Amino acid sequence: MIDLIYKIGHFLLITIFTMALGLLFMGIARKIVARIQKRYGPPIYQPYLDVLKLFGKNAITHGFIFDFGAVMALGGVITTLFFIPLGSWQLYSMEGTVLLIIYLLAVASLGMAMGTVGSGNPQASVGISRALTQMLGYELPYLVILFALIFRYQTSSIWGLMQAQAGSFLNWNLFAYPLMALVAFVVLIGMMGKKPFDAMIAPSEIGSGPVVESGGKYLGMLLLQKSITIIIELALYVNLFLGGADNIFSFSFKMLIVWVLATMFGSLFPRFRIEDGVKFFWKWPLGIAILQALYIII
Amino acid sequence: MNNNFVKGSWQEILDWAQNKSINMLHYCTGCGAIELPPTMTSRYDMSRFGIGPAATPRQADLLLVTGYLSTKTLRRLVYTYEQMQAPKFVVGFGSCTINGGMYWDSYNTIKQLDKYLPVEMYIAGCMPRPEAILDGLLKLKKMIADGEADGYQRYEENKDFYHQNQEAVLGEVQRTQ
Amino acid sequence: MRNEKDLLQLMNAHFNPLKLEIKREQNVSLEFEKEELIQALSFLKSHSYKHLSTISCVDWLEEGEFELVYHLFSYTDLINISLKTRIEREPGIFQTAKEIWPVAEFYERDIHDFFGVKFKGNDNLEELILENWQEIPPMRKDFDTRKFVNDKFEWRDYNGQKHTD
Repeated sequence: MIDLIYKIGHFLLITIFTMALGLLFMGIARKIVARIQKRYGPPIYQPYLDVLKLFGKNAITHGFIFDFGAVMALGGVITTLFFIPLGSWQLYSMEGTVLLIIYLLAVASLGMAMGTVGSGNPQASVGISRALTQMLGYELPYLVILFALIFRYQTSSIWGLMQAQAGSFLNWNLFAYPLMALVAFVVLIGMMGKKPFDAMIAPSEIGSGPVVESGGKYLGMLLLQKSITIIIELALYVNLFLGGADNIFSFSFKMLIVWVLATMFGSLFPRFRIEDGVKFFWKWPLGIAILQALYIII
Repeated sequence: MNNNFVKGSWQEILDWAQNKSINMLHYCTGCGAIELPPTMTSRYDMSRFGIGPAATPRQADLLLVTGYLSTKTLRRLVYTYEQMQAPKFVVGFGSCTINGGMYWDSYNTIKQLDKYLPVEMYIAGCMPRPEAILDGLLKLKKMIADGEADGYQRYEENKDFYHQNQEAVLGEVQRTQ
Repeated sequence: MRNEKDLLQLMNAHFNPLKLEIKREQNVSLEFEKEELIQALSFLKSHSYKHLSTISCVDWLEEGEFELVYHLFSYTDLINISLKTRIEREPGIFQTAKEIWPVAEFYERDIHDFFGVKFKGNDNLEELILENWQEIPPMRKDFDTRKFVNDKFEWRDYNGQKHTD
């Protein structure tokens, strides 16, 4: 019984901490983009106020499937959160978590897709079909990289991959296999929907894509889901390539560095069309990842 | 008494959060919309006050009516206003919304915005410069934080008055939920 | 590449225009009888005047006539040419130019909306810019704008001082 209460408390703590950190990272990104564009931006704590305001607005609903889609998206990412080591915290650790995480990340997108089906707006369908097509693009190089790493270290749990880089910091995969780290960085930008690859949220073309009919508390839930997704993807990158960390603070610091680099990179480019984005992912990143994988295997 | 106290202070927290983060639907009806891009970009940055753009009526709080409104546009504007979620605010921009402005004797533009939609405040000018726009929006933020911006409640209470005026000018107007 | 005088000589040779005028450099204006106008248009189109800029209309109330003006441009001669004709105000019917330039359908729809001129052969004459308009076409000279505005809209009341006029 005490064990159960302890676990529930642990899970609440991880969820709330991740939401808060994710919203803070979103605020930092807006500030960085504003400074690059030579203006002051909103204050760093602006996303907290956005979420608070959104939960105070009325919202209309379009039926059961629309509600369920939002809940499924948020629930999917919280489930994914339990299998990733954040510093020294982790709820469950077992073999095969790498593949499990790839599978669960798709649940969030499918949740949003279900929500858009329920709303019945054609612009939302266009947005979500673009998002799923793009996922087809970036999953392929990412899977090649993951299988190469699993083969190299003969373990398929993220905790194991993190432990294998212990020792001095020259053991990190960033320095051992730099090309793969570079490809994973480009895939990270695609996963987070940042600038060259953000045709799915294009605000002027399709009225912000899948969230076009959500207002009020639905938009608040989707904003929270986005913040947790950011932390999950950054945590995966830091665990696989930058060696993880012992405690949560140095882990957050490493995530912050990757996030700042990704934001600065993502604020400079115009937008790719979806076909161009998918073709890009299947040309150079896939080629480099396959080369590096063959080098590892042979 | 306890219930009212809790409800009152919860409403104050919501009003404070609403005034710190406003999503603006820039529905550029007339020529006054040309003063919006300088206000939103680097020189007279509007996002440092928490006001940002929104893409669709369902996500927006603030409807900015910039300039003259022909009867054709007024019908679409009424549909847009009814699709926004409460709490929502309307700001009239320029002198064409106040008394018809430069197009006062045109057969096709409306003369007072007040009779068709509940307006919180007007910003005078033809057209107002970005500094005037920012001054007006800061006063709007103060009104929201004090709880005085209740246009959407006025629309609900005086629905017959507004619907009657709209139908006198437009003919028949379709109402969904 | 013709200049303005050659163009006028060419038109004089094939048709009989009522009035020819060179307004200024690169700007020429001709007036025709209403039966000849459509043939003059297709003649000019085959002689490199391929661009129809617009069709406009003038209301001569005292003479009881509408005047239709067709503005053409040529990319090789670089001359703007305006072809005018007058039709009766009462039935207000004219032949369409849709077979020569398909875009003329929209200009004629616009003129029908604002002046009430009907075009034979153009069967898509619904409202283009106005919406649910019940009165007489508003650009005619006998449409009283002030009276219409005073009847339909209300002026803002500034402390009891109402808007005169």
